[in-house]
Amino acid sequence: MSAAEASGARFTARLLRSKATLLWAAVVGLVLFCAVLAPVIAPYDPLDGDVREGLLGPSGDHWLGTDKLGRDVFSRIVYGAQVALLSGAEAVGIAAAIGIPLGLLSGYAGGWTDRILMRIVEGVMSVPFLVLAIALISVLGPGLWKSMAVVGVVFAMTLMRLTRGETLAAREELYVDGARVVGAGAPRILFRHILPNITPPLIVQVTLMIAGAIIAEATLSFLGLGAQAGHASWGSMLADAQESIRQSFFLALPPGIAILVTVLAFNQVGDGVRDLFAREAKAGTLGVNPVHRGKGAEAEADPPAGTAVPDPLLSVRDLTVSFPQPGGGRVTVVQGVSLDVGKGEILGLVGESGSGKSVTAMSLLGLVPDPGRVAASTVRLDGRELTGLPFDELRKVRGRELGVVFQEPIASLNPAYTVGDQVAEVLREHDGLSRAQARERVVELFEQVHIPNPADRLGDYPHQFSGGMAQRVMIAMALACRPRLLVADEPTTALDVTVQGQVLDLLLELREQTGMSILLITHDLGVVADVADRVAVMYAGQLVECGPTEEVFRKPSHPYTEGLLTSLPRNVRRTGRLPSIPGVVPAPDAWPEGCHFADRCPHARPRCSGGPIELAAAPGGRATRCVRAEELTLTGVGGTGAVQIAKKP
Amino acid sequence: MLRTVVIRLAAMFPLVFLVATGVFFLGRLSDIDPAENIVGPEASEEQVAAVRHDLGLDRPALEQYADWLSGAVRGDLGQSVYTKADVSASLLQALPVTLSLTFGGLLVGLLLGVPSGIWSALRAGRAGDRAISLFATVGQAVPGFWLGLLLIFAFAIQLPWFPSVGYVAIDQSLTGWLRSLALPSVSLGVVAAAAISRQTRSSMIGVLQQEYVRTALSKGLSKRRVVVKHALKNAAVPIVTVVSFQVTTLLGGSIVIERLFAMPGLGQLAIDAVLRRDPDVIQGIVVLTVIIVVLVNVLLDLSYAWLNPKVRAL
Amino acid sequence: MTSANTANTDAAGPAATGDGSGPLLRVRDLTVTFAGRRPAPWRRPATTVAVNGVDLDIAPGETLGLVGESGSGKSTTARAVLRLLRPDRGTIEAAGFRVDGFGRRVPAGYRRAVQAVFQDPLGSLDPTKVIGDIVAEPLAVHVGLRGPERDGRVAELLEQVGLGAQHARRYPYELSGGQRQRVSIARALAPEPRLIILDEPVSALDVSVQSQVVNLLEDVRERTGVGYLFVAHDLAVVRHACDRIAVMYRGRVVEEGPADRICERPAHPYTEELLAAVPDPDPARQRLQRQRRRELAAATAAPAPNTAPAPAAGGCPFAPRCPHRMPVCTDTFPDRTSLPGGGRVACHLYDAPVTTPEEVR
Repeated sequence: MSAAEASGARFTARLLRSKATLLWAAVVGLVLFCAVLAPVIAPYDPLDGDVREGLLGPSGDHWLGTDKLGRDVFSRIVYGAQVALLSGAEAVGIAAAIGIPLGLLSGYAGGWTDRILMRIVEGVMSVPFLVLAIALISVLGPGLWKSMAVVGVVFAMTLMRLTRGETLAAREELYVDGARVVGAGAPRILFRHILPNITPPLIVQVTLMIAGAIIAEATLSFLGLGAQAGHASWGSMLADAQESIRQSFFLALPPGIAILVTVLAFNQVGDGVRDLFAREAKAGTLGVNPVHRGKGAEAEADPPAGTAVPDPLLSVRDLTVSFPQPGGGRVTVVQGVSLDVGKGEILGLVGESGSGKSVTAMSLLGLVPDPGRVAASTVRLDGRELTGLPFDELRKVRGRELGVVFQEPIASLNPAYTVGDQVAEVLREHDGLSRAQARERVVELFEQVHIPNPADRLGDYPHQFSGGMAQRVMIAMALACRPRLLVADEPTTALDVTVQGQVLDLLLELREQTGMSILLITHDLGVVADVADRVAVMYAGQLVECGPTEEVFRKPSHPYTEGLLTSLPRNVRRTGRLPSIPGVVPAPDAWPEGCHFADRCPHARPRCSGGPIELAAAPGGRATRCVRAEELTLTGVGGTGAVQIAKKP
Repeated sequence: MLRTVVIRLAAMFPLVFLVATGVFFLGRLSDIDPAENIVGPEASEEQVAAVRHDLGLDRPALEQYADWLSGAVRGDLGQSVYTKADVSASLLQALPVTLSLTFGGLLVGLLLGVPSGIWSALRAGRAGDRAISLFATVGQAVPGFWLGLLLIFAFAIQLPWFPSVGYVAIDQSLTGWLRSLALPSVSLGVVAAAAISRQTRSSMIGVLQQEYVRTALSKGLSKRRVVVKHALKNAAVPIVTVVSFQVTTLLGGSIVIERLFAMPGLGQLAIDAVLRRDPDVIQGIVVLTVIIVVLVNVLLDLSYAWLNPKVRAL
Repeated sequence: MTSANTANTDAAGPAATGDGSGPLLRVRDLTVTFAGRRPAPWRRPATTVAVNGVDLDIAPGETLGLVGESGSGKSTTARAVLRLLRPDRGTIEAAGFRVDGFGRRVPAGYRRAVQAVFQDPLGSLDPTKVIGDIVAEPLAVHVGLRGPERDGRVAELLEQVGLGAQHARRYPYELSGGQRQRVSIARALAPEPRLIILDEPVSALDVSVQSQVVNLLEDVRERTGVGYLFVAHDLAVVRHACDRIAVMYRGRVVEEGPADRICERPAHPYTEELLAAVPDPDPARQRLQRQRRRELAAATAAPAPNTAPAPAAGGCPFAPRCPHRMPVCTDTFPDRTSLPGGGRVACHLYDAPVTTPEEVR
């Protein structure tokens, strides 16, 4: 996947931005320079010295002093670069020549070829690297090039396994199926599709392997198994240094530092290249961001009718969420959202991807991912102000007064613990129940959400549940402490449609029983029509329309709502082509100055783009963010085409 | 559980057999003749042949192999062609040294690597994380034997707190044992610590982005509980994998460190054997290390089953 | 069985085997099983029957919707038609080729005649290739077009799907989801196929983009006369896009027929349940839907106890959930019964009064 970034201007831009990688690449260049021009740079013969001038300290004549045999240390370091790089090249060259083709073969062909090759790799890799190298050197005899050939063979195993793994993964990618369907043969798929895609990780691995080979060379030479008297190797220099450590400690420094810096440089270049290929690096600390008190918290204007309800349970005013941009600056993804959820009410928050609906919900919980910043003039839950609350205060609200259900029920449950344990945890945390009490209450909750055989299922792990049952567990967990508000973020999107109905029915039933309110985030207008009392429509970070569901869907007052409702394929007789909204949702950094929808709106006028549009009251207890709301007559759903499904005989 | 252990242990025999066979025949392919080494360069052809005959090296390779194998299954790994010492006995003598050192290195690796990795992950992108990451990248690039050399200079020569060479057996003196292991363990363990720290950091970061961590937070748990209970156990699987890989690496790395600190472990034995071309000793060492590696892997497989219920169900 | 068929299919292009006369796709008794995990290395792996005796027909230029929930085997059926997997049993004739008779090498003619568009528009495009190369790949493989000719054809194809020539130099990740799906469609159109398999082509797209792509597919069909096998889980989308619909449940086609008949007068209890579950944005209508949904749920309130034996492989897979469950349902999969209004249903409710004993396989 990541290979896409490999080409084009974006790659270059990223490369230039990662100055550290360039710096380390320069270090690699310097080592290479020393190696190539060693005879020119080195002032002395690295192998010959005057014993009478042994163990001299650094001086003008000998920049890094001399060793016991009077050889110039600086010259030996420079020639050592030659040995190190040639060794690295030899070992990695052999590793690549053996490992990559066999890995490709093993991964692509599969079957017996794969099984036999992998058994061999497994056997070889179960012997520690140095033990294996020593055993093989005992066969070939010591010596620099022989020992590095051995290192190459051992490294080939690692490379083979990696290539195989990457090939196997790539082979399962959908684009390979795509190529097969198009008619591409095996060689074309292997060399035109798989190889380019696995090249980046291989480049990274090979770079890191050079570093490994340089360390291996130094180690083997230190042990006397690699470079012999005829080569100046950093490893054998360290062996010499050890002998004379009591006379001159300084001798240990230059070769050690040379190894360290060279290896570090290769490692850093490898890591840097990996980061370049990777999709945007995720910063991943715990996603906890309290809601900051926004500006103008005191002088808070009354929101237009339609977003506000009398005596609300949840009241949000002017919520704004922004994230830092890679190039600097911040980009706003949610812009001044104000909404109320009444007591016992279900408010549907709808929008397409990128509308900011989920971020809005998460920001209420303080769960916006870390670099995000959330501000609001007020977020009030049951009369309690949540803005400005520190983490530990806010966490007493989460789970106790406010329960959450997420989209992917199985992924949202911790795979390492039983579901009973996970639900009981909330009770023990907030209500301080004992283990036995918690267990009893969990059984009760499981019954309430209609999980069959609740007592037996407590000890099961999430992967033993179907999606629908896992979502019931999530709901039980969210409701454990009898919260006043349930935030349900696409609770049925990942479920099959018949299961979706059951879960929605459960939510309605629980609302009846407990009198809780639900903030239901969804992209599915049908789900909203099914359960929501009121609906708030979001587009490109803003609330564009809000009001009672039936009113809004029958007679929308914002062109975007109209577009959504009419473009949705419904289970009705076709009457020609589906109406559709042209274009795509703009990215947050490309939102228009005026109405965010103006570019796609069939009713747009020049004044729509003049400047920010405010949410304004509209007839029927609604609010709309459209300057033409009063002059337009928009189409909704209802009345027409509703064909009742015939009952079966 | 017991069944798994038995199956896993049974599965290791073919592997050990395969490796042993491979090493044996590779040894026979060599054109370096131990007999020549023994009698020296000036010896006549007859003398070499006589030594070869004494050592049984003139017999067909298959016969030698059958001989060696039948001994090996009974625990007799042959004898050194030089010292005539029994290989099994020398291995058993050297093993505690190497195991102590490997374990010491692993301990250093885990104690430095795991906490620093977690700490780093929780501060991803901030100064503390960058500092830890820098240490980890440098740690991975440091040759262990060079670090050992610096440690010897600093803490054995300049500040004579620890012995610079040698090994004290645990039954002789516990403090002596600990003191003799301190510097070698650190030299050996730093590279492992760096690798473990990097893996811990990245798998923690990966887990912290999982939806169940968001769920745990949404339940109102404390950060500490979310990290320790919900994230760490899930992050542990890749960490354990790296640790198992590190055990193999440490076992190999101990060879160099033993050499540096003149400790009479398997490493010393191995290097002497290579330089003198002593086939039975090398074979014995390879077989022994493979057995150790496989046993460690069985242990780790069992820990996977504890960490991941999906594996347990199989 | 392979050799007998390859002989005539290899040579025979669509032109040779009655272009336009026969069915575009004819699937009979298609069965696909997957080997599961082995309980122990020496034991046989458990097998799952993903597709069980499926029959499908598509006439030239027709669109057949294949609908079902996860685990219904709809995508597996599509992959078998594409020869991305090998069926265990059954015959597949597509665009004049006997697909089940293919050996390891699939004839190039078949790859030209049958194309595919997959659900995940990003995953199905090679990330290392620019759009132009992706769309041109079938041209390179089948036609051998090069240079300006190739570029001209690519530009033409991109234009057909509503993209500009400037998109040819972009990478897949630089496009939006809807644009990527347009690229997939352009690639599928490049070799001028007769049948395109659409595997959930709009499921990953936002509502406003979904309708654009559905409309595009319709335009393409009108212009080129291509036939579609439209695999999806959303009945409302399928009703809009298809002439006929086949409903799958756990590897079986339980009902098949004209789209409007299926959606207005469903015959199979499962189809009925599925329809009642499709939410509608019209709140008034949705209230009726919900009522229907609850009635059905109440009728099924006593599902088969877990202790009851699982339905035999020959039984109706829907039996455990079915409100009309009869004893016969658990051991015999019903024959198909033709329905007034078109299509057929596989349900014992429609059996002739006397069940004949030789139905039992």
